[in-house]
Order: sequence, then C-alpha cells, then structure tokens
Amino acid sequence: MIVRLSDNIVSPLGFTTEENYSAVERGERGGKYYEGLFGIPEPCYVSLLDPVVVDSRFSAMCHSAHERYTKLEKICIISAADAITKAGVDASDKRVIFILSTTKGNIDLLDNRNDFENGRENLWVSAQLVSRYFGNPNEPVVVSNACISGCAAQVAAMRCLQCDGYKYAVVVGADVLSKFVISGFQSFKALSQQLCKPFDKDRNGLNLGEAAATIVYAHPDVARISQDCIVMRSGSLSNDANHISGPSRTGEGLYRSICRTLDGYDVSNLAFVSAHGTSTPYNDDMESMALMRAGLSEIPVFSLKGHFGHTLGASGVLETVMSMHALMNGCILKSEGTENPGTVQHVNVNMQMRKTDGRAFLKLMSGFGGSNASILIEHKKSTDFDVDNRLNDNKVRLSIQSYCRITDDTVIVGGQNIVTRDLSSDVTWLSQIYKSIGLHYPKFYKMDNLSKAGLLAAEMLMPESQDIPKDDWSVVVLNRSSSLDDDKAYQETISAENYYPAPSIFVYTLANIVTGEISIRHKIFGESACYIFEHFDETKLEQIIRDTFSDSQVRVIIGGWVEYYDDHCDVLLLRVHRDDVGIELTKDNIKKIY
Amino acid sequence: MEELILELKKEIIEVLNLEEMTPADIDENAPLFGEGLGLDSIDALELIVLMEKNYGIKLANANEGKEIFQSIKCMADYIAAHRTK
Repeated sequence: MIVRLSDNIVSPLGFTTEENYSAVERGERGGKYYEGLFGIPEPCYVSLLDPVVVDSRFSAMCHSAHERYTKLEKICIISAADAITKAGVDASDKRVIFILSTTKGNIDLLDNRNDFENGRENLWVSAQLVSRYFGNPNEPVVVSNACISGCAAQVAAMRCLQCDGYKYAVVVGADVLSKFVISGFQSFKALSQQLCKPFDKDRNGLNLGEAAATIVYAHPDVARISQDCIVMRSGSLSNDANHISGPSRTGEGLYRSICRTLDGYDVSNLAFVSAHGTSTPYNDDMESMALMRAGLSEIPVFSLKGHFGHTLGASGVLETVMSMHALMNGCILKSEGTENPGTVQHVNVNMQMRKTDGRAFLKLMSGFGGSNASILIEHKKSTDFDVDNRLNDNKVRLSIQSYCRITDDTVIVGGQNIVTRDLSSDVTWLSQIYKSIGLHYPKFYKMDNLSKAGLLAAEMLMPESQDIPKDDWSVVVLNRSSSLDDDKAYQETISAENYYPAPSIFVYTLANIVTGEISIRHKIFGESACYIFEHFDETKLEQIIRDTFSDSQVRVIIGGWVEYYDDHCDVLLLRVHRDDVGIELTKDNIKKIY
Repeated sequence: MEELILELKKEIIEVLNLEEMTPADIDENAPLFGEGLGLDSIDALELIVLMEKNYGIKLANANEGKEIFQSIKCMADYIAAHRTK
C-alpha cells in the first residue's frame, strides 16, 4: 500500500485538478471537430491543448528555458511542478523516483524536428529532461505499455516504494497528439465522427485527447498520516494472450487482473468502477464481460473519456486522479456521453452525478498488446490505518533456468552458440534464425523486427515441454529505442505525397507489443510490461524482475533486454523461476551472460 | 478477370507478408478469414488500404469489407465494378 500525497491534471479543461474537476462537474467536454488537422485528410473530434496557452503557462514558471522543451515535456513539467509543490516534497532528494507513463512521447518530431536534435523522440530522453528539471539524481523509469501505461506506472510506483527503498514516487502520465497518432487510430477505424458515447448502444469509436497528469505517492513510513488520506491498496496487470489489437471477447485478461487486484477485498466497500470505457464497440463489450465475470455488474460505472477523450499514456493517471477526488467528495461521477447504455453484458452505467458513502474504487485499463490493468484505490480514515503490505519480500532466491542472447551475428542459448549469421545470404538475420531453429509460425513474418527478435528469443528458452500451464508466468521487457524502428516505417506511410496509413505497421508502434506477441504465442496470461531506459543495466534488469516477482502469484518470468533499432539486434532474454535450481539471478550473473 | 485475380493474389501476399505462400497456393474461392487463408482483423484493415491505394476504392467503415473480402474472387468482382484507377 502506498499513500497519495498530491496530484495535478493539465488538460484542455484546466491546468489544475480543481479546475478539471469543476469543469467535469459542469459537464464540459474537451473534444472539438477539426478538419485538416496536422494535414490529415479525414476530419476528427479531438481534445487539444492550445500550444500558445501551454507556452504561456510554461514561461510563467520557467522564464529562460521556454524554447528548450517540446510541448510534451512542457506539460509534464507544468503538471509535475504543481503536484510536487502541493506534496511539499524535495524532488532533488535521492529517495524520490520519477516514473513517466507515455505511449508515443515526442513522436511528432519524426514529422517535423522543429530544431530539436535527432534522438529527442526517444522516450527516455523526455523522462530524463523532466526529472532533471527538478534536479532529481535518479534515472527515471519509463513505462510504455500502450493504453494501460498510466495504471502500470502506478503499479511500478508501488513496487519502487515497497521493494526498492524509494520513499516518494512522482508518477507523470502524458501524451500529445500528432499526425502519427491520429492517422494510426484512423487506419484502425477506431475514431468516432462525433463526440464519443462510452457504453452506449450507439457508440461507434473513441475520441483522442491530449493531457498530462501527476500523482505523488509516498511510502506509509514517510507520509505523516494525521488525517484521512487516499491510498493505492493494490494493482495488477494481466494479458489476454489472444490478439495484439482486438480485446478478448471474454474479457479474460481484465477479469484475471480484477480478481488479483481484489483478492480477499470486501467489494461492498466499492463506491464505483472508473472504467476504461473508450467507446469502441469491442472495448466496452469486453469490459462488461469482465465486470460480469467478476461479479461487479451492479457496481456503478463511469468512463471519463466523454470529457477528456482517450489521453493514452496520461489516461490511467488522469482518470485515477479524477476518481480519487470524486471519492474524497463522496461522489460518483456521471458517465458523460452515455445516453442509452447497451453492452453485451449489463453494466450499471452512472447516468447522473450522485452521492456515495463507498470508500474505494477500482480503476480499469486495457490496451493494445492484449494488456490489461486494474488498481484499487481506498479512502482511509486515520483511525483505521493499518499498514497492509501485500507485496512479498523480494529478496527470495530466483534462478535463471535458461537464457538466450541474440547479437548482430550470433545466437547463444545457455552458453552454446546455436546460430551464426550467414553474411553472404540475402535472407534477413531474424529470418535466418527463424529458419535455423525450425519454427513454423507464419505470423512471424507479419511482425516488426522488435517483436520478431523477442519472439525468437522466447522460443529458444522455453522448456522442452511447451504445454505446461503458464497462467502464472509474466513477460517483462526493457529496451532503449522503444518501437522507434517500426515508428520510422509507419512514418513513411503518412507522408504528404503518399498518404496511406498502414494499420499493420501502426499496431507495432508500441514497444509492449513484443510482450503481447510472446504472451499470445505461449499462452501467458500473467503480467506483461515494458520499460524504457537509456542503456542496458544489469542492476535495473535484476531489480525489475525481482519487483515483478513481488506479486506472490508469479512463478516464472520471461524477462530481459530486447532492443532492435536500425538493423542492430541486442537481446538478452532470461527464463527466471522462483526456486534455487540454476544460475542465481544477480546483477553479476546477468552481466556475465550479457 | 483471371489477370486481376492473379494480380490481387500477388498484392495480398506482399501486403500481408504471407511469406511462405505463392499465388498458386491461394484458392480464389476459399474464404479469406477464419479457415482458408486465416487472415485476421488487422489484415482486413490492410486490405481496405490496398483497395484505396491500388484501385482508388474508398470504404468508409470496416463493416463494408465483410461482404467484399469473402474471397479473392469476391474482391476481384468488386474491384472490377468499382475501380477508379
């Protein structure tokens, strides 16, 4: 359990949480109709932050550095600055860790660099610029898990505070819109041509939105709990192991995530469910299935997408903040845009803002890569404060039972060189490996290089008996370039001269898709997560694998460094078990085999 | 029509990365989705792009594709009747 100290939301509806909350109470909606936005031929409804207003707000707090930051970085800094000030935390303290949740960061720079340097589109660069603005000495964590990033980042914060010795976590979620992002969703036919209608029988797609949101969390030891407060009690991630873009028709991953997050919790405490509710036909049906299976069909549900649109990497943080304030105010927010609820299973959609005496809520998110997340937030009275630490001791012995290393010219499995690149061949290196190991999985050829590399490595380190259940396995990937290799391929499909946005390329422009492909191939239903760092670092890799094992249900993790960019392949994937057979998981042992 | 069917087969193999297939492996009357070629929803979206890019046919929503993408033969018939390039 971790304690919320403060928060902020920067969106078209306001620059503080209070402004945003008031706007939502008044029923305001950020979405507006645009034609020719960013040179995109199709019109769309989106919720945009005015760059002039952002610049003016940023200049007011930072006079000299205005031109040195992108719009994304500015809104992150504006949002984090407000929350950090309210928390009264010294962000330059080494006990503070910054966690950035974003899907595409500065990807708009691929289209127009605006004098920003090459490489600025790397997600870790933005995260470092934000954390260094506040003088923080630690390397920030980037969580890039498609649409669930904002909830996944809060789960990561819980682990950093409970397992890694940090005392404060500044969780910032942000994304901005661009030709890249909007055209991609359009190629998926996922955008509505009107304001979205979550859970409505006539819903026909989502609206995108821009925002940044921040929550400052603290370890209970330092939170000085003298009055009522909001805590994050638990959270978990699960994969559908079904499809990289389509939600499971049975709500499998989300249902599993809800069960794990609520494990043993008295659901009569739940005031409401703050749903993902994107307003696409499939997502909202999927959520209704998961809620029905979890026995939560009668709990009031709302989606905030009607106010803010889908703010991607910001949404999990932004919607948690709004829901926290609703809980503190004893309110259930209205599901804006819903007129006639109609999903495959009954959902108790909240049609009018009303009072509640419930003391907790569940936040749900689902996204590409088959990823799902849920977190449980509770309003605690100071008088009933019990330090409920659900995470296990993460110092248990963990063992590497198999590993696969792929470089630009060799494949090593368990210390044995099993494939060497034929430099004279015109077959690509990854296809050479595919053929060499005798894999028959035609979908391989549809993947981007990052997913191919991860899939091949996972294939080679699986135990001989492939049919053992993998419900309690997890897939965790770290890398440097996110999906930038595929991002550049997608960018080529949206040039002004030859504008045919390719959905089959766009779907891989998310770094976590590799974890989804591995989960689908091996029917792994546990957590799938993706983190971005500047460099391979054995200490971070060990720490993140250990942190993931702090969920007592996790038995095995397929985890490691999976990097592919500009024809360079750098992979070290491990199969780590919760036992003492095999090489002990230590940073020194990881370094030896890298 | 035979020419258009062969052209479509080649385009689909390329666009959908059906690496291990040749035009001769594809039965133009077999279903494209489910059994048959076993394509999925992302492939369907990519076929919509192919129709626009190569034949100037714009489908407003994915549901329109259901009838057209029943088989290569259905696609060829539709393209022959509606192509603008």
